[in-house]
Amino acid sequence: MSNLENNLPDEELQAANEETAEEITAESVIEETAEDTAPDEAAEESSDEAVAVSAAPPLKQKTSKIPYEKRKALYGLGFVALWLVGTIYFFLMPLIQSLIYSFNETQVKSGKMGMKWVGFGNYVKAFRVHQEYSKQLVEVLGDTALKTPLILIFSIFIAVILNQKFKGRTFARAVFFLPVIIATGPVIDIINGNMSTGGYAGGSEQFSTLFEADLVDQLLNFLGVYNISDKLTTIINNLTSDIFNLVWNAGIQILLFLSALQGIPFSAKEAAQMEGATAWEYFWKITIPYISPMILTSLVYTVVDSFVDPGNGVMTIVLNTSASWEHGYSAAMAWAYFLIVAVVLGILVAIINKFVYYEVE
Amino acid sequence: MATKKEEKEFEKERKAAIKARYKRMKEEGIENYLTPDQIRYNRNKRIIGMVWPFFRFLILFGLCFIILYPLIFMLSTAFRPNEQMNDPSIVWLPKSFTMDNIKQVWQVMDFSNTVLKTVRLNLIASLLQVVTCSITGYGFARFKFKGRGLLFALVILMILVPPQITTIPLYLQYAYPKPEILARLLTLNFDFSKDPSLIDSGWTMYLPAMFANGLRAGLFIFIFRQFFRGLPKELEDAAYLDGYGPWQTYIKVMVPNAKTSFLTVFLFSIVWYWNDFYVSSSFFTNSGTVALSLKNLDGTLVQQLFQGQSVSVRQIIVWLEAGCILSITPILVMYIFLQRYFIEGIERSGITGM
Repeated sequence: MSNLENNLPDEELQAANEETAEEITAESVIEETAEDTAPDEAAEESSDEAVAVSAAPPLKQKTSKIPYEKRKALYGLGFVALWLVGTIYFFLMPLIQSLIYSFNETQVKSGKMGMKWVGFGNYVKAFRVHQEYSKQLVEVLGDTALKTPLILIFSIFIAVILNQKFKGRTFARAVFFLPVIIATGPVIDIINGNMSTGGYAGGSEQFSTLFEADLVDQLLNFLGVYNISDKLTTIINNLTSDIFNLVWNAGIQILLFLSALQGIPFSAKEAAQMEGATAWEYFWKITIPYISPMILTSLVYTVVDSFVDPGNGVMTIVLNTSASWEHGYSAAMAWAYFLIVAVVLGILVAIINKFVYYEVE
Repeated sequence: MATKKEEKEFEKERKAAIKARYKRMKEEGIENYLTPDQIRYNRNKRIIGMVWPFFRFLILFGLCFIILYPLIFMLSTAFRPNEQMNDPSIVWLPKSFTMDNIKQVWQVMDFSNTVLKTVRLNLIASLLQVVTCSITGYGFARFKFKGRGLLFALVILMILVPPQITTIPLYLQYAYPKPEILARLLTLNFDFSKDPSLIDSGWTMYLPAMFANGLRAGLFIFIFRQFFRGLPKELEDAAYLDGYGPWQTYIKVMVPNAKTSFLTVFLFSIVWYWNDFYVSSSFFTNSGTVALSLKNLDGTLVQQLFQGQSVSVRQIIVWLEAGCILSITPILVMYIFLQRYFIEGIERSGITGM
């Protein structure tokens, strides 16, 4: 038993000791029965047998099921305990604290936060009084709604291509994952020209001037399409000029889809070929169902990533408010935003989950 | 199990056999063997097989260009003398090269000190984080206990809640740590006239990482849980039968099997710690890390290089891009050597097994 015990964290030792006391009695019972059934075996082997029994949970499951399960549960808690302690101190406590701030008018004093209870005052103020907050909120929601499907479709497309066999695939993959290591840092700010100074000549600015703004218009005119609705033109224009952001934001999603594509069993592909499926049919009837769980994951990741991005309108307002020492007010804004995001995500996941195909093995 | 090389050979042989059979069939009159539908299917497939690689090349080339564009721009400007930025005759290749920008930015960022400090911070925090997150992930993956669902929901919450919400209360926790003696011990601050504070010390990074709560810890726990769930149960049963306890099973059986996912998480952790500026800007008052000093670079440049005069972006850009080059080089070098593991690791790391 000792080799099982010495790994337990301190707080669980006592409980485990009680457990072992129970188990020792259980073991002795087993020993007796073992000796009864096999009396011709030498007595010195019984001690070896006891060790074997104590180290063989499946055997013990028959005789004392509950203690074993309980013990495993304790070990599980032991493995999680470190994280749990940390989460309470570094995550839950600050989270609850900020929720409390959001209901108070705060004042920074030395050593603590001075607070005056205002109820939902901060929330009302955020939506009613703040000039930009509601507007930006709607804008961010709309932006995400437009961007997310685009990123998902694009990254599935690229992942399918990168999954094919061709020369230079390793290089192409390396390039496509490059944004993953660069795009989360301040370098992307310099590339995008979002530094404090305006009117900027970073890489992305230069890039968008590469394409004439009305290239799309000209193309449509060339094809003989005139005067289609302005809205459509602006949407198409936005899409083409956004391709930079699209490519730079899709790194992780491509990675996720690629990993899902690798998981499609070869037998499925073979069967499709035998039945004479075209590439198009193969994509819709084999690829999409198999990667649908990953579509859900990527959707959640994309939405969260877009909402949490410190560059978006709402986050900027929240951070600016916080920087001007109005912590209660900024906490209220952040919480309202977070709750809206959580509700949107919850609805999305609930809907999409119905279409996800889980392979039952 | 055939090795990769053997599999390749098999594939080759199979293809050759198919080709030979098709040739024979054609000689004998293909209509005898295949229906018109099948013939059309084969023809379409052949045509697509010939045209598609061309399109694929175009698409990939264009998109790679988009991704590499800012990097090429970075290289082009960082080694260009400042005056040549306004020369309209220069697009990519400057007329002369200079290392002055890099040298000046190196000085302004105090790069040799900063990079050492950042690397130390990164390595320690990432190592701690990987170890603790894997332990937690294993606990979630292989043990049943009361409230597991609820606790795992907490992990998901950790992924969803942006760090901006918890920063201010966390700051107060670090600035006025509760068991004061412990904080004094950690920061080696035994001067009792001063208040103990963890702000500005590496502990603001190490402590959360030590308790599986570092940057994006939720995501890492999730990855490890998925990975360990994907390993066969028999591994553990065998270890238990051999007399290992759960802890020994984890160390001696599970960890060696999870090497790739350890490496993947470690690399991602390093990347995120390297790039992080929000959390570190909250807990470090002076520019401590590479990301932070890059974030503040235009301010410090104006102060130190231009003596407070306001300068246009067009002028300052060469130094900014030089700073970018300096700060991404270490991580880029790591990526070039280890990119195989980034990609292969995540493919096998079990995120697949949703």
